[in-house]
Amino acid sequence: MKTFNPDAMGEKLLRRFAGGTSRRGILARLGLALVAAPVFPVLPVSRASAAKPDRSPEAKTAFARSAQSKDDTKCDYWRYCAIDGSLCSCCGGAVNRCPPGAEHSPVSWVGTCINPDDGRAYLIAYRDCCGKAYCNKCDCDGTDRETQLYVPQLNNDVIWCFGTTSMEYHCSTAVLVGTA
Amino acid sequence: MMKVQRKSSLSAKAKHAAIAISALALLASAGTARASDPLPPDQELEAVTLPAPKPSWVFVDRGFASLGTFIYDTDTGKLLGLIETSDISDLAIDPAGKAYYVSESLWSKGWRGTRQDMITVYDPATLKLKTEIPIPGRILIDSRKFNFILSDEGKTAYVYNLDPASSVNVVDLAKGKFVKKIELPGCASMMAVTGIGFSALCSDGSLATVKTAGAKPEITRSAPFFSATNDPIFDNFGYDRAKQQVVFLSYTGQVYTAKLGATPTIAEPFSIQAAAGVPVGETKPLVVNWYPGARQGNAYHIASGHLYVLMHMGEYWSHKAAGTEIWDLDVAAKKVVRRIPLAEEAGRIAVTQEENAKIVVTNDVGNITILDAKTGEEKFKLEKSGSGILQTLEP
Repeated sequence: MKTFNPDAMGEKLLRRFAGGTSRRGILARLGLALVAAPVFPVLPVSRASAAKPDRSPEAKTAFARSAQSKDDTKCDYWRYCAIDGSLCSCCGGAVNRCPPGAEHSPVSWVGTCINPDDGRAYLIAYRDCCGKAYCNKCDCDGTDRETQLYVPQLNNDVIWCFGTTSMEYHCSTAVLVGTA
Repeated sequence: MMKVQRKSSLSAKAKHAAIAISALALLASAGTARASDPLPPDQELEAVTLPAPKPSWVFVDRGFASLGTFIYDTDTGKLLGLIETSDISDLAIDPAGKAYYVSESLWSKGWRGTRQDMITVYDPATLKLKTEIPIPGRILIDSRKFNFILSDEGKTAYVYNLDPASSVNVVDLAKGKFVKKIELPGCASMMAVTGIGFSALCSDGSLATVKTAGAKPEITRSAPFFSATNDPIFDNFGYDRAKQQVVFLSYTGQVYTAKLGATPTIAEPFSIQAAAGVPVGETKPLVVNWYPGARQGNAYHIASGHLYVLMHMGEYWSHKAAGTEIWDLDVAAKKVVRRIPLAEEAGRIAVTQEENAKIVVTNDVGNITILDAKTGEEKFKLEKSGSGILQTLEP
């Protein structure tokens, strides 16, 4: 049986790295990094990230203050801060996977939700699962920073089944894209 | 042959006489029908027909993934009929009452096969299909009032499209023909501008105005007047065709009025909460206050200039929460003149455009309540009768 082996993975990764680099090349790159390092703090990107976003309870929305990270079949699961529709996790799918036979829409509306475990904000893509009848289970409507039709990528009422073979709405997933 | 013919004609006469006598006997016996006699069979009758749409009627979409739009009379609470609206379609009513228009998307094999978008035209008396006008596309969204609008006294239709680039399809309803597609990046929710074309709300916080007449449509934008991401304006708003005036409401409760035209003018906003003597709505978390909200959260009575708004207690970003009160805002006086508490919270609101207006509200389970707009008194309650968009006849 194949089990998860971090040692073997680490070894593989290091061997691949060693095979593709030379000691001189490494020194050259390290040197460049040392020379270039003082330049970066003056860039505006660096300064912007230095000002940490306010994640105190006072700055959080009502949803973010009560969000949980254990049960993705409940509307208060943290990734659902701007979802609208049936949760795919209640319809035979998962938080980020479609139920059997449904097709994941390649495009979506998005939300920025705060994970209660690490306090970080993440970009969530609410990708609809399409091509089956409306699931109508675990209907949720998160509205954090959700806006109107003139900003469609932040509106959760649009049927986002674009680029799928069928435009029939089945349920919605919440795919984590990265930190916001 | 002749004899035979005469004979048969004689016997035919005798037969007719016999039928006539037995029919008379039947009629005579009907006059003295006993309780034990069976009921006579019904005659073949035509379907019931309707008069032209009335201002007291309300059109109730049955809701997401349900088919059809019910017509109720708010004077009687009676269901009059059903317009055949397909899933995620939009309904528009001809201002002269000559037709019901349904902007819809159908596929050749149910939800599979070839997509066909069209405006389907129904006869208002028989509610039967009159014709179909093919269009190149439309947005698929739980219905909204301003994605399918009529202009030029019902001669022109504008159909909003998102694929996912946004555009507007112009349709000549008089000729029954699609005319052209106008690209409209970053804007949505249209309002007809008489003699010009239409205006729409935009993501940069401006109001775009589109001159549709020329070979190349001309789009101009007002200066930004609201924040589309911090305090958006609801894409459901009050529209007065005759005065060419609109009443917008934002998430925090700011009320904007605008005069439409080639160059629209937008007045300084005021707070609906301040107009009711409560603290002004804010965007900060942890501030619990009265906020406007719901899926279709406001309705405008054109003749009186009153905006009826579904309000709820909550924090900011609760703009889809159902309303627990209706606030009756006199827009010109900037005053909330009445607050009507609701027995059951409501997700949608409409108002009939009669002098003695009625407010219609519905909720997620489709319970409709009809109230007297002046007194707030409940007139009718219709259980499980439709949870989708509500529309009334507008001048």
